[in-house]
Amino acid sequence: MYLKLAWRNLWRNKRRTLITLSSILFAVVFALFVESLERGAHNQMIDNMAKFHTGYLQIQDYRYENEHSLDNSFYFDEEFESAIISDNRVSYIVPRIETFMLAAGEEITRGAMVFGVDVSAEQKLNDLKGRLSEGRFFEPGDGSVVIGEGLAGRLNLAVGDSLVLLGQGRFGMTAAGLFEIRGLIKHPMREFNNQVVYMSIPDAQWLLSAENHITNLLITPTNLRYTDELARKFSSELEENEIIALTWQNMMPDLIEALDFDRAGTRVFMGILYMVIGFGIFGTILMMTLERLREFGLLLSVGMSRFKLAVVVFIETFAMSILGILSGFGVGSLVLLYFYYNPIELKNDMEELMLEFGFEPVFPMAFEVDIYLWQGMVLFLITMMISLYPTFKIFTLNILDAAKS
Amino acid sequence: MAILQTKNLSKVYNPDTVPVHALRDVSITIDKGEFTSIVGPSGSGKTTLLNMLGGLDKPTSGSVWVNGEEITMMKESKLIDFRLHNIGFVFQHYNLIPVFTAHENVSFIMLLQNRSKKEINDRANKLLDEVGLGDRKDARPVQMSGGQQQRVAVARALASEPKFILADEPTANLDTTSAMNLLDIMYKMNQEQNVTFVFSTHDQRVIDRARRVITMVDGAIYKDEYRDVEEKAAS
Repeated sequence: MYLKLAWRNLWRNKRRTLITLSSILFAVVFALFVESLERGAHNQMIDNMAKFHTGYLQIQDYRYENEHSLDNSFYFDEEFESAIISDNRVSYIVPRIETFMLAAGEEITRGAMVFGVDVSAEQKLNDLKGRLSEGRFFEPGDGSVVIGEGLAGRLNLAVGDSLVLLGQGRFGMTAAGLFEIRGLIKHPMREFNNQVVYMSIPDAQWLLSAENHITNLLITPTNLRYTDELARKFSSELEENEIIALTWQNMMPDLIEALDFDRAGTRVFMGILYMVIGFGIFGTILMMTLERLREFGLLLSVGMSRFKLAVVVFIETFAMSILGILSGFGVGSLVLLYFYYNPIELKNDMEELMLEFGFEPVFPMAFEVDIYLWQGMVLFLITMMISLYPTFKIFTLNILDAAKS
Repeated sequence: MAILQTKNLSKVYNPDTVPVHALRDVSITIDKGEFTSIVGPSGSGKTTLLNMLGGLDKPTSGSVWVNGEEITMMKESKLIDFRLHNIGFVFQHYNLIPVFTAHENVSFIMLLQNRSKKEINDRANKLLDEVGLGDRKDARPVQMSGGQQQRVAVARALASEPKFILADEPTANLDTTSAMNLLDIMYKMNQEQNVTFVFSTHDQRVIDRARRVITMVDGAIYKDEYRDVEEKAAS
């Protein structure tokens, strides 16, 4: 009957309860939307960086982190590969050899990021073939390359043209070569799109005088939660080979910092939203409490304990908060699902602006359970804090004063 | 047998600023089965005395005894429980729980007493039948007249099987028919079930039915008289 009393009290002023529920619902939906949008954008950034650049876990010579030089590449053969892949937490590996070189067309020369890659391994990590906009990919050792559309445009080159690469190989060897452009790739990150040159690992090793050497070995765990433990394991096992394993967080501290800063801004914004919503809910609870002081006085005078009365009123606030949050989750899920499958795509100037800053002009939504838990918990805590007011009022209520109210 | 007793009960409001003597040295004894009216003009201390008798207010000095137990020194938590099991209240403004039906309003007190579901249900039905509202069990207060609400309040007060019932101006907001109907019910319960009633009132209709009338003036007992009202009640 206590539950019945609380439930009916909740609906004794339907309009007011519905308005309060709506404000909680709106807060939940808005909070879910903002958090999912931010998380989605961050995940995309991390994903792009990890898939095309660092990987989630990477093995490299311990000097390579501070000095990205081919001199700091490491020996990589089948035995090494077997040792890594034998751990059942490792899903697959992606070997790379990368360096900076000058890329020249007929008249123009530009700086280029040259990647020697295993296309089938890259395909698993980042769907490299899916990014191909023209032509096709090279075969190992066939002396051809695939370059970014942006770079092709800058050098005024097309599929079938020749590309000259010039730079420094391992241990100061001159690295120069002429390669046929076999295909063009549309890279989601502008910085890459304007600079990237892909070739097979054998071609890169030949060009850079780095036979059997690679600069990075990207490791994809079967589950991302194994990343840290695999990093510790490989660092320890390969220490005598002067090789270390780094996680994506180790390799991209600037990105982590930028994302943290972005998150902090969102937290402040959300904090303001929570405060506004919190005061709205408090207004309702305040009215619900004050207009029922007489009733509280009656219940106390006929023998209901203050504790039981406080529990009933707490149940009312609890039920309102849970109803608001759950309905917010329901409506929020519909909104999130829609944008999850139809991400917001920026067009025209905004698209250009995003590309300018190195971001994809797409805002994907993250659809993750912890976003719900976190937002639900914050709003639940706010309403529970607000419920302290009627509880305090009940425990300090003078029965006679209440009866006169 | 004294069911309710006050000894030199005094109440002073604002003792440090402008003292108001609401009660002055009030000593009364009420026996089981009495049908007593406390009367007097506004400000005479009727309601204050009733609040003291119900343990809703603390006296400045003196004591209140219920069934031989002093309630003035009781801690609040114990006093709330004591009220639940020993005192029934009927208020001027009905004071029913608006979201409950008549049946639920009567049942709620018994629920607080942790009685069994069956007992609660049976007793609530019986009491509502006794106050003539057997056919209005599922009505909410807003769907009932003032007289009907007050009858539910009487049934609620009786539900906990209290030692006595305190009724503060129970007929003040009722028309004559409803007031007489309510008084008949309370009188009948007093006569047939020996339920003790103490009213504060200045309603002549209530005073006419009371076998004992305590008249208060300026916080003190002015007159305490026993009367024979059998004839009036019968008429």
